[in-house]
Amino acid sequence: MPRTTTVESAGCPPLRALTFDVLGLIKVTEARSKLGGVPKVVERWGQPESSRCVLAASTNDRKIDPLLAVARKSGVIELISSINGDLRVSLPSGNQADVQSQEDNIVGLHLFKKQTSESSSRSCTLLTCTTKGLSTLRSFTIPKSPGDSTSDDTQVTWNVCAAGNVLCCKVDDNENYALFGGKGVEVNIWDLATHTKIWTAKSPPKNSLGIFTPTWFTSATFLCKDDHRKFVGGTNSHQVRLYDMAAQRRPVMSFDFRETPIKAITEDQDGNTIYIGNGSGDLASVDIRTGKLLGCFLGKCSGSIRSIARHPDLPMIASCGLDSYLRIWDIKSRQLLSAVFLKQHLTNVVFDSHFNDEEVAAASVPPSEPKEEDELIERDEESKSRNVVKRKKKKSKSRDVDDDESHSVKRKKSKKSQNEDDDVDEGPRSKEKKKSKKAKNVDNYEEGLLSVEHEKLKKVKGRKSKKSKGQRVDLE
Amino acid sequence: MDQKHQDAHNELKNTTAEATRSGNKALIKPFPSRFAITLSFSSYPCRCRRNHRRLCIRRLQSTRSSEVMGKKRKEREAQSDDDDSSKSRTKRTDSDKLVVKPQLLPSMIKNKDKRSAVYAKIKHEKKVEKRKNAKAREALENRALELGEELPPKKIPRTIENTREADETVCKPDDEELFAGNDADEFSSILTSERAPKVLMTTCRFNSTRGPALIKDLLTIIPNAEYYKRGTYDLKNIVEYANNKEFTSIIVVHTSRREPDALLIIGLPNGPTAHFKLSNLVLHKDLKNHGNPTSHKPELVLNNFTTRLGHRVGRLIQSLFPQDPEFHGRRVVTFHNQRDFIFFRHHRYVFETKENKQIDANDKSKDTEDGKKQLKGKIIARLQECGPRFTLKLTSLQHGTFDTKGGEYEWVHKPEMDTSRRRFFL
Repeated sequence: MPRTTTVESAGCPPLRALTFDVLGLIKVTEARSKLGGVPKVVERWGQPESSRCVLAASTNDRKIDPLLAVARKSGVIELISSINGDLRVSLPSGNQADVQSQEDNIVGLHLFKKQTSESSSRSCTLLTCTTKGLSTLRSFTIPKSPGDSTSDDTQVTWNVCAAGNVLCCKVDDNENYALFGGKGVEVNIWDLATHTKIWTAKSPPKNSLGIFTPTWFTSATFLCKDDHRKFVGGTNSHQVRLYDMAAQRRPVMSFDFRETPIKAITEDQDGNTIYIGNGSGDLASVDIRTGKLLGCFLGKCSGSIRSIARHPDLPMIASCGLDSYLRIWDIKSRQLLSAVFLKQHLTNVVFDSHFNDEEVAAASVPPSEPKEEDELIERDEESKSRNVVKRKKKKSKSRDVDDDESHSVKRKKSKKSQNEDDDVDEGPRSKEKKKSKKAKNVDNYEEGLLSVEHEKLKKVKGRKSKKSKGQRVDLE
Repeated sequence: MDQKHQDAHNELKNTTAEATRSGNKALIKPFPSRFAITLSFSSYPCRCRRNHRRLCIRRLQSTRSSEVMGKKRKEREAQSDDDDSSKSRTKRTDSDKLVVKPQLLPSMIKNKDKRSAVYAKIKHEKKVEKRKNAKAREALENRALELGEELPPKKIPRTIENTREADETVCKPDDEELFAGNDADEFSSILTSERAPKVLMTTCRFNSTRGPALIKDLLTIIPNAEYYKRGTYDLKNIVEYANNKEFTSIIVVHTSRREPDALLIIGLPNGPTAHFKLSNLVLHKDLKNHGNPTSHKPELVLNNFTTRLGHRVGRLIQSLFPQDPEFHGRRVVTFHNQRDFIFFRHHRYVFETKENKQIDANDKSKDTEDGKKQLKGKIIARLQECGPRFTLKLTSLQHGTFDTKGGEYEWVHKPEMDTSRRRFFL
């Protein structure tokens, strides 16, 4: 009688998660209610190459034009549209020479969600931190094509620590403060507006045997949304420490968790639950007010957990790590909802909270309105559905073969169309108008160029993704 | 069922009590005959307390005619006399009252002799049946052979290996990501012969007898390996030292109670660390009829490393050996994975032509017919085992070099993973 385990996958609610791995691939995993909530890899961006290994990733999870910032091992920071994986900006490795980038990898990256007031919607701000403690705050505007140099580039660099290696870097929810910590670096908090250190932790005293455990923070997170004063750090000596800036410089509370270093900590939205993952694949939730272990997430996970992500709306978390599985867990029951095998050692996972299941379903029916984008790209008089098929094929082919060349060609194409959209002069505009039978665009146009431009961009993007998604659904 | 039974029981109790008391036969009539039969012939009339059961039976005995009880014994006797027992069990001498007989399991028989007799009979029947089936199958095959038809398909026995649980991590040959990963991993520089493998071998802190003997054997197997005394150095310091000396891997043989019980393979400079449990060790000198290996570079056979993890472990082992084997040395080292156990064997082999008897007979004209003989002879490979023989089992694979406290694991064996005997990780 073969003893087999039942498939415990309960299925997921519709969600979309992006994972980053050591070969520099970005994989998009989607679960749809239509397919019984079984998550599948739907897209893979990039080519496998060890120098493109993703070290840190950050996203601004907004509704319109969400962006993804990715720090590669080669020192390049890339801004990628998280809808279709188009490369927007590629920032070279700082102003320093390449010599330093070899041993000075980027460990922390944060893409600011809120817009600075004076800048337009295309500008964005990035905080990066390297192992040596060199942190850089730079803001720039996204150029129209990736070939252009970034304009309006303001950059502030300061050194976080004199010695030691920075291993974790986090920015609080209001994006005013950042914390840094690492091997030989006590956690310190910096004010991002003035670039000054406002607080430093003090290492806990020697224990009863007179043994001092060296400082080695491996992960940290701010606890509450609107309170930057409380944060949690995980150490290499498998200790979890709660700090309160208002109370004291030594940890308010600390407790041990298992035997291997704490590799990932993520806070819940309620501000008192944290999820900790360690080097041997144990994942647990802890009530940080009391330090009590609420429960472990059991599911045959055997590789080190590198990243945990909490879904902004749905009650679940995703974890990934060296066992190459993306696992999605329910928070309440702590059950494994599903596990997806992603073939490589994963470094990061990020949720896309604005993934809409219905949108995909609607997109599977070919939309009736004419598409300017398609007409611009390939001016043939085929039926829409076939058009879609063709484009899809092309896309996939190019993705398979693709090197930077084919990518860039494609990008140029789309950029061209975008530029035409963006162009202020009346010529292409009117032509387009003739093509499109909607009067809506006219109104929008009068409202202001910026908003039109923005919305158009969004539409185009949305449709692109819709088409690809819809097609995939059909094929399946 | 219990409720039903209870009801029936109560009813029975009432009726029987009244019947016995009054001796009125009219009262017995509404007595449900169905119950009567089931109660009298099922082995346990009622599943209540034992006393109650006894009571029940006694009451039944009193109400029904006494011949019912005696009949059972008679039947049993008849059964043992009769050859065809299975039929006789259902057969009744007077079956007017006894309609249904519930199946009597052999385990219900309380007499041991009788019970074992029944068991033996059943066993014999099964054997006969099996022989009959085999004969039939053989006849079918023979007929098919005679008629020149297609033979009936042979049945494949189900083993644990071929009923292995489906695993999505099994490597597929068309997976381009796998090859990209291979190119990027820690062993690629050794496996593409950019670096020559150079192995440092050491032991645990205290070792004696079988530990050094195993080290000695391993030194003959792995070319370009050096033994360093462990002394009192920490393993982390040894790793650092080996890095400076440009070793590509470290092997640590761990002994406990003078018996090697664990093997640690560390890839350098930043390769993974694999921790194996070592068992069933037979040393070179303890093997019967063992061969003595030459100093040629051995060939390497890695069997059944199918999953991603297995693939990685296989590559780790591969990186210990030089990538250019000397085939004329006819020396082969095998790592065979079966059910997550990695069996290590070391052989010498030779290809021989088996001579036909005809040629043996006229060996005078051997020289002239030399070419002919080679044509006629069948080529066979003969093996001679040499070197140690042991079994490895992976307990953990660590990312980076040896670091027990701050290490990150790629895979650790956890007891909760052992929920199925048909799930394998390598």
